[in-house]
This record gives sequence, C-alpha cells and structure tokens, in this order.
Amino acid sequence: MEQLTLALAKGRTAESTIELLNKAGIDFPDFHEKSRKLVFSNPENTLKLIFVKAVDVCTYVETGAADVGVVGKDNILEAGADIYELLDLKLGKCKFSVAGLQDTPPLEEAKKLVVASKYPRVAENYFQQRGIPITTIKLNGSVELAPLIGMSDVIVDIVETGNTIRENGLKVMADIDDISTRLIVNKSSFATKTESIQQVIEQLKSGLE
Amino acid sequence: MEVQIHDPQDPNIRAYQTREELIQKMKMRFSLYGYNQIRTSTFEPFELYVDATGTIHTDEMIKIIDRTGKVLVLRPDVTIPITRELAAQNFTASEHTRYFYVSDVFRNSFDDNGTKEKSQAGIECFGEKSAEIDAETIAIAIQTLKDLNVTNFKLEIGHADFFKQIAAETELNPQELEQLKKYIQAKNITEIAPFLEKHNVKPEVAEAANAIPLLYGNPKTVINKAQKFALNDTMKEALRNLSEVYEVVEAYGLEKHVVLDFGLINHMDYYSDIIFQGFIDNVAKPVLMGGRYDHLSEQFDASIPAIGFAFDVEALIEGTTKESYEEPTSVDITVIYEKTRQQEALYIAGELREQGLRIIAIPAKNVVKANSRSIIQLTENKQVLLAGNETKEFNGIDDLKDIL
Repeated sequence: MEQLTLALAKGRTAESTIELLNKAGIDFPDFHEKSRKLVFSNPENTLKLIFVKAVDVCTYVETGAADVGVVGKDNILEAGADIYELLDLKLGKCKFSVAGLQDTPPLEEAKKLVVASKYPRVAENYFQQRGIPITTIKLNGSVELAPLIGMSDVIVDIVETGNTIRENGLKVMADIDDISTRLIVNKSSFATKTESIQQVIEQLKSGLE
Repeated sequence: MEVQIHDPQDPNIRAYQTREELIQKMKMRFSLYGYNQIRTSTFEPFELYVDATGTIHTDEMIKIIDRTGKVLVLRPDVTIPITRELAAQNFTASEHTRYFYVSDVFRNSFDDNGTKEKSQAGIECFGEKSAEIDAETIAIAIQTLKDLNVTNFKLEIGHADFFKQIAAETELNPQELEQLKKYIQAKNITEIAPFLEKHNVKPEVAEAANAIPLLYGNPKTVINKAQKFALNDTMKEALRNLSEVYEVVEAYGLEKHVVLDFGLINHMDYYSDIIFQGFIDNVAKPVLMGGRYDHLSEQFDASIPAIGFAFDVEALIEGTTKESYEEPTSVDITVIYEKTRQQEALYIAGELREQGLRIIAIPAKNVVKANSRSIIQLTENKQVLLAGNETKEFNGIDDLKDIL
C-alpha cells in the first residue's frame, strides 16, 4: 500500500492525538514530547507523520502535501478549505464564543460592531448570518485585551473553561460553535489512495471506542 | 555577438511543447469519438451570466467596460455560451451534435494566488440522452487519461438529483441549504445530524442526508446501499439511471476506474443528472469535471439535452510532467555561411524550407554551437554538408538535394 502523509498540529492537542494513534495501533517509536524532530515514520513505513503549525494543517492537506491531517475545528472553520472532514476525534473540546465587557449591550441590539479576533473569517460569517455589520481587527494573541482598552466592542475567541474571559472582567455573550479535533482528508488522496485512507479511519474509530 | 543556435532544454520551449503534446493527444481522442473543434468569443455580454441562474457568480467574472459603457466579461465558461448559441440557432432535441474545445477561461478566484486564467479542454454532446451516451462520455474521459499515460486515477460519479431532492424534502432556507451542502461536500457527518435535528428536518430525510456522504465506492455495492435512502420517485429513477450507465461502463471494460460518490455536488447548479469528477496521483484537486445539464438550455428558451466535461489543462500538466514526453523538435539543418556568400546561403536555406526541412541560417561569425542534425557550411571557396561523421562537398542546390 502507498505511504500516507499525516499532518499533525503542534501544540495543545499533539500529545493526546499521539496517544489516540497509539491506542489505534499506529505507533511512532521515535516520538517523544521534547523531540525537536518534525518528521516521524511508523515501523511499517506506511505512515509518515509531520508536525506543522496548527493554522497550516488545512493548507498542507488541501494542497496535497499531506494526505490526511489532524487539527482543531477552529482552524478548519477559519481556513475554509475544500477538504473532507471525516471524523471527530473528540479531543481538545472547547467553544467559539463572542465575549464583551460586562456593560456591552446584547448583540441583537447592535447596529455595528468592531470585533477583534484571531479568527476574522469565523467572526465575519457569524455576524453576517445575523445581519450585523462588523469591522474585524485581526489579532494574533491576547485578544481579551481589545475590549478592555477600547480597541473593539467584542471579541470572537476560543473558550475552554472561561477562566481567561472572567479574569479579564469579560462575559460570554453568545456561543458560535463547538470545537474539537477532527480528522481531515485531501479529496484527491481519498479517491486515489482510498484503501490506505479507509484503513487509517477504521483504526482511529476503533481507537476512539 | 554570441548566439546559441538552438537549445532543446530551453524551459520555455519545453513547457510549451509539453502542453501542446498533451493537448494534441486530447484532441485526437475527442475526434476519434466524432467530436469537432469549435471556439467561443473571448468577450461576452455580462447579462448572459446575470440572467442565467445557477451558473457563475457575478463576482467571479472579470469585467470590462467598452466605449459605449456596455459591460462585457472575459469568457468565464465555455458550456454556457455554446448552449446559448445553439438555442439561438433553434437547435432542436431531434438533432445531434458533438463539439470539443480548447479554450482559456477567466475568473477572479481560481485559487489564492490570484490566478485568473485557466485552460480547459472539453467536450459537449448535444441532443442525445441515454445511458449509452453518458457512459461513452465517461469512457472518453478515462481513455484520454490513459492516452496521457496517467496510471493511477479515479473517476467519481454522482447524481445531481440526490442532493436536490433531499434539499426539496427539507424546509431549510437557502442559507441553511448552503450550510448543509458544505457539510455534505466535506463528508462531515459529525455535524450533519445535529444540524438537521436543530432545524426539525423529517427523520427519513435526515437519515438520507446523513448517509449520502459515505455512500462511496464500488458502484454496485453503493447503489444497493442507496436504495433505502431513495425518498421519492425521482431519486429511485436516479439510481436506475446510475445502474444503467454503470452497466455500459462495464461493457467498455473500464469499471475499475470508477467509483460512485453520492456526496458529490458540483459547484455549478446547472447539472441535472449524472455528474462526475476525476482525480489523478499527485494533483490535489480534480483534473476534470462534468455531467449532464439538460435544463441549462431552458434558460435560453430551448430544450436541448446535453452532457459534457472539461479537463483542467494546467492541473493535468502538473500531474503528468513526470511522464516521458518527446524531446522538443529540433532544427534539421543549420546553414553557416561567410558573409560574402550570404545571398547564396539564404537561397539554399529558402529552397530547403520549401522541402519541409527546418532550417536556421546564420553567419559564421555568430555561431557558438549548432544543435541540428546536419550542418551546411559555405566558406570562401567550399560548400560542404556535415551529416553525422560524414563530410560531403556539393555543387549547387540540385546536387545538394540529391545528397540529402
């Protein structure tokens, strides 16, 4: 069978994903947490694992540089890539939410909003569907700061426990979407390497049970 | 001045020749099935696409304003103008015609790199509607890929009615349908079920919508599995149609190259029945797309059944350059002459070109290296033909022609 390339998001969910792969019978013996290596192979050489930045996983898979990928729904929504999203790996569960200051009026009353986010596309889609015109400000971190210093009215961000939001004196105003880690697949690979890909999916499904 | 007379490795020449060779092979295959080449105009009226629903989004088109203020677009598609043309010519469903084209199409967003131009090579068969012609169209696509020495490829076949009927059985608004379409195209069954539940879609419809993304693979098996999700007569008819087409594909002996995919939805809304797309190794997107579009002509007040597909030429090149293509055709003879014998040399070169030989004539002082098969040298007092290891003297053009 042809070798598959699997792109894995570095960071938050990498370790639990590797655990899941192990449970599914896919081992990468060379892998350990502190390794700086970015490419690993399983002993059978049927899978090549590459570690890439989370925001890039969809790009690797859409362009076919990787056949399959494991990445958070947050990045999938933001990338808007033309790919298959075949499995919910149920890891790294959290939410996309809109948050604002305690005294920010409800969203339904808003005429126009300035929204700060690491995910401008997600923010735009959400408010466009509700008919609220917005201006987005793309930030790369510490998004909670934006409403506090008057840079934006609200933020769109990932909320896991809500602690960061609360500690910064903000409140969650609406939930946009549930997020978890997904298995994504390139459409061409799915057609031309069907067997190998189906096998990985079946293995992962059994690992999830 | 130093001149390299001919370099077969010239990347511009190579790129063009690779492309030409590929296009020639496609043209040959199309014409072997009775298709004849046509071309459509580069500039087209903007209204043609505004009035035709389910075709190309107006933002996608590249617009031009002419002297009178009329808005034109650069050819965004080939199928639509051909259909409009035939409708205008009162083409009736009892006539048959087969066209092929190799044309550039222009759109604003082919990809993220700002590519605005793409070459399509495709066929359109008008006036025929049968499982046989549908299967033949699929066979042509497969045969063409074989002609191009593509070894690993798959054609995914689906049916436009499957999603359309499911959509009709729900009461979702256009925005929600768009969302459902995205989920199905992404085979995202994780989110389809909760989405349909939230929007109170009838259980049997929800079940079908949930099932179709994974109805993928061996046609016979998949058609059997799909039976229980056929919600109405139109969907049952679609399954019958697919079975019939597949039987003919089997008769061509090409069944190993096709799979069914009920989750396939083309971004062009005008497809009415069978739809398909093709994937090859090492290319991340489809290299061909097509299907039956019996209702497109109705937008131009005609009724012409039709089926066609188009190859994305650049994507094919990307996937096939590793295959062996012939060396670029080189020059047959280089005529190298002393300035004093220029007139004679140019006369010889001209005569040989009349014979169909490819000739480069150049003064001796400019020559660095000649890559032709033979060389003719005209020095102060001698004229010789160098071919291989042989050197032959000749007297005048007739003598030369005899030696050649």
